[in-house]
Amino acid sequence: MARKGKKPGSFSVSRRDFLKTAGVVSAVTAAASPTEAEAQAAAVRGVGPGEVPVRLMVNGKRLDLMIEPRVTLLDALRMRADMTGNKRVCDRGTCGACTMIVDGRPVYSCSTLAIECQGKTVRNIDGLAAGTALHPVQQAFCDKDALMCGFCTPGFIMASVALLEKTPNPTPEQIRKGLDGNICRCGTFSRIMEAVSSVKGVTRG
Amino acid sequence: MADFRDEQGRGGQAPPPPPADPKYAWLPKQGVIGTSIKRLDGPEKVTGRAKYTFDIARPGMLYGRIVRSPYPHARIRAVDLSAAQKAPGVKAAIVWRDPANAQRNTVMFQGDEVAGVAADTEEHAIDAARLVKVDYEVLPHITLVDQVLTGSAPAVFQDGNVRQGAVQETGDLAAGFKQAAQTIEETYSTHVITHVCLESHGTVCEWEGDRLTAWVSTQGVNAAREGLATGLGIPQPNVRVITQYMGGGFGSKMGPGAEGLICAKLAQEAKAPVKLMVDRKEEHLATGNRPSATARIKAGVSADGVLTAFDAETWGTGGAGAAAGFPLPYIYLPPNRRRTHKDVYINTGQQRPMRAPGHPQGSFITEVLMEELADKIKMDPIEFRIKNLPPEAPNAMWATYLRQGAAEFGWNKRHPTGDTTAGPIKTGMGVAINTWGGGGRGPTQVRCEISSDGVVVVKCGTQDLGTGTRTLVAVVAAETLGLSPAMIRPEIGDTMYGVAGASGGSTTAAGVSPAVRIATFNALEALKAKVAPALGVEATASKGLSWADACKQIGPQPISVEGNWQPGLSSVTTSGVQFAEVSVDIETGIVKVNRVLAIQDCGLIVSRLTAESQVYGGVIGSLNFALFEDRILDRNTGQMVNPNMEWYLLAGMSDVPRIDVRLIDQPERGVIGIGEPPTVSTAAAITCAVRNAIGVTVRSLPLTPAKILQTLAQQRRA
Repeated sequence: MARKGKKPGSFSVSRRDFLKTAGVVSAVTAAASPTEAEAQAAAVRGVGPGEVPVRLMVNGKRLDLMIEPRVTLLDALRMRADMTGNKRVCDRGTCGACTMIVDGRPVYSCSTLAIECQGKTVRNIDGLAAGTALHPVQQAFCDKDALMCGFCTPGFIMASVALLEKTPNPTPEQIRKGLDGNICRCGTFSRIMEAVSSVKGVTRG
Repeated sequence: MADFRDEQGRGGQAPPPPPADPKYAWLPKQGVIGTSIKRLDGPEKVTGRAKYTFDIARPGMLYGRIVRSPYPHARIRAVDLSAAQKAPGVKAAIVWRDPANAQRNTVMFQGDEVAGVAADTEEHAIDAARLVKVDYEVLPHITLVDQVLTGSAPAVFQDGNVRQGAVQETGDLAAGFKQAAQTIEETYSTHVITHVCLESHGTVCEWEGDRLTAWVSTQGVNAAREGLATGLGIPQPNVRVITQYMGGGFGSKMGPGAEGLICAKLAQEAKAPVKLMVDRKEEHLATGNRPSATARIKAGVSADGVLTAFDAETWGTGGAGAAAGFPLPYIYLPPNRRRTHKDVYINTGQQRPMRAPGHPQGSFITEVLMEELADKIKMDPIEFRIKNLPPEAPNAMWATYLRQGAAEFGWNKRHPTGDTTAGPIKTGMGVAINTWGGGGRGPTQVRCEISSDGVVVVKCGTQDLGTGTRTLVAVVAAETLGLSPAMIRPEIGDTMYGVAGASGGSTTAAGVSPAVRIATFNALEALKAKVAPALGVEATASKGLSWADACKQIGPQPISVEGNWQPGLSSVTTSGVQFAEVSVDIETGIVKVNRVLAIQDCGLIVSRLTAESQVYGGVIGSLNFALFEDRILDRNTGQMVNPNMEWYLLAGMSDVPRIDVRLIDQPERGVIGIGEPPTVSTAAAITCAVRNAIGVTVRSLPLTPAKILQTLAQQRRA
């Protein structure tokens, strides 16, 4: 059951920033000059516990939301923006149904806070097709019947897109490793293997 | 060969008697039926546009949350909703288990429902649920079946902790053992697993006066309607259930469940739509599981390989007050046999049907025993199985598939038990047989409407669980009308479309296909009758006219005719055989399945692509059962320790072997259904293959690395 977990999206807050936002300003002041520390402290804004404004770039469009800081990227898009394509299944970064592409990398959006994604580009299944034209990976999933109930499918497709953008001609082993962070319950793995193997010429979106 | 008997005319699969009106019969030569038509709703699913119950959003919709018992057995003394009611965003709060009602105030498992809340956001609902104060009187509970069997369990269940079944006995057991050259006495067992539907159980409920519209994640819209109406005490016609897309059920979603009723009551109190989807932990605890199965068996075999006697004491647990039956000795019918079974109750969530209920357990226990018996008399396991097939149908099919599979799989390269190759990696092969009834049934109402613009709508109150029902409807309609499936608009997943059965037990394809065939046939006749005057010919005559031109004759009133399921277009009983090859690392205990061959029949194949997908899915599901899944309980607290998806293991891409699917065409038999059979026998085939590889028998599932190493260590000590 070796499963290569996807790394979470590059969380750009440094340990120092984290300490500040966590209110441990004194720990910082000890290491910095008084004026620098004051300037940094002044820049620190507490967020929450109520709703706060969060600005996201999703599928190339700006999205302004008022959400609690604890809301995940997945829940923000599903429940506040009616982008319900990606699903919540395990809700703890295991099954991959929530996989979105953030700054070019696949992430588990159920385990990524929406507020962390400000200033990053987010792509999800709802924006993958260009109008009625399916993305080549979507088309391949249809052609090979690489879906049954379809609940894991959006996550598998996003993980496949991320894989193919990075590795356009993957070996079977690379496909397996690239999709090991996703789980299907109906048992479509064999068909997904066929589908992803058949896709040619995916370029970075 | 039409009824698939063997050379001596024994044990075939007879085709069904023709339908009452032979005009409906499937044509001997099919057009689109049996071909690989792409799933009609594929584009909706791959784009995320498909709206599952989990995705439904209604104006002013609230989010519901259930308060559940943390204890496996307790009496509810009091429930205080006041703090929850005052919490931010809360619009409704209800007590589900009334402390004053002695019939209803006891929780029987961890996760049993106690109360419910609804709030404006899901986060607020979760917060409010934590504020519900429940006063529990904790009562003694049972976690382990062994506690019950050894008499050390407290008395928990009203009518006893055990339900003892009647003894089933045939022939003369003592005489049977006297004929035996070899006997085996061993205990075999399978474990409890949960359904792990990716879309959890749940409902969106919206009231309009005393009428309820419910989007339910269900395998049966009509069954869910009945469950909601009964549970809420309202007339069934007041309830409309909609399930356009459903994220997996596997048998666990046959009704609305307590979660559906709680959702409806919250919506009633809040006077607003409520969505209530249970979370992953609740899904493991409270929405069903596959019962365990254990069999203490003594079996005898004659020197020439005939099973002479079979004596089994069996038990299993389906949780709190639920049965745990399974067929044994599965497909074999030794002349002298006895079985006693008991259901053992423990304090966990109740079992629900899970893909081929009972069969994977019966198959595992029987086929591993057969493997051991074959070795005792030094007979090839395939020849031993063929020798012991029952006289009745479909033994001829199994024998044929066993030989066909052996040739394709390379069975002649199989070594005797125990791979003697040097090094830690041992490989082996195994085989196992499956069967399932399936078959169609009525009432399955279908309405076909053809309008003057040529659009064909086929309506049926069935549902698509991901099996491909929507596509199947289109394929059968297209075949009958001479159109392409893309020209058909199937409308399903709604009680507005009439009565059809719940999708369970591989009955949907065989229930829906005949009804669609009949309805669309009737529609075509109605169309011909309308067109005939325009052509100046008899309705039965054929004269070239395009579909669009013909439909123009329909006029403002569309053709609208019904069809219902009739016998004669579907059959029961499938048969299949599966082969598995594994590698076992005897240093780490890790089992890797290298390849599986699945030979499967299911009568007339309607939609080849989706039928094959069912077999792939069945094999992978059974592989999960064999190697990974396990509901683990803490023996002291009765808590499930892995109610998630990181410690409740399921196969990923790297765990899935090469799978070869061979569908056997039997068009003469009509439609049967294929959801259950392919998931029956893979676990047994894998276990037999592991035995062939490492030379010792693991008699219980799952085949974890620890268990493999332990079994090998026991053998070394012995």
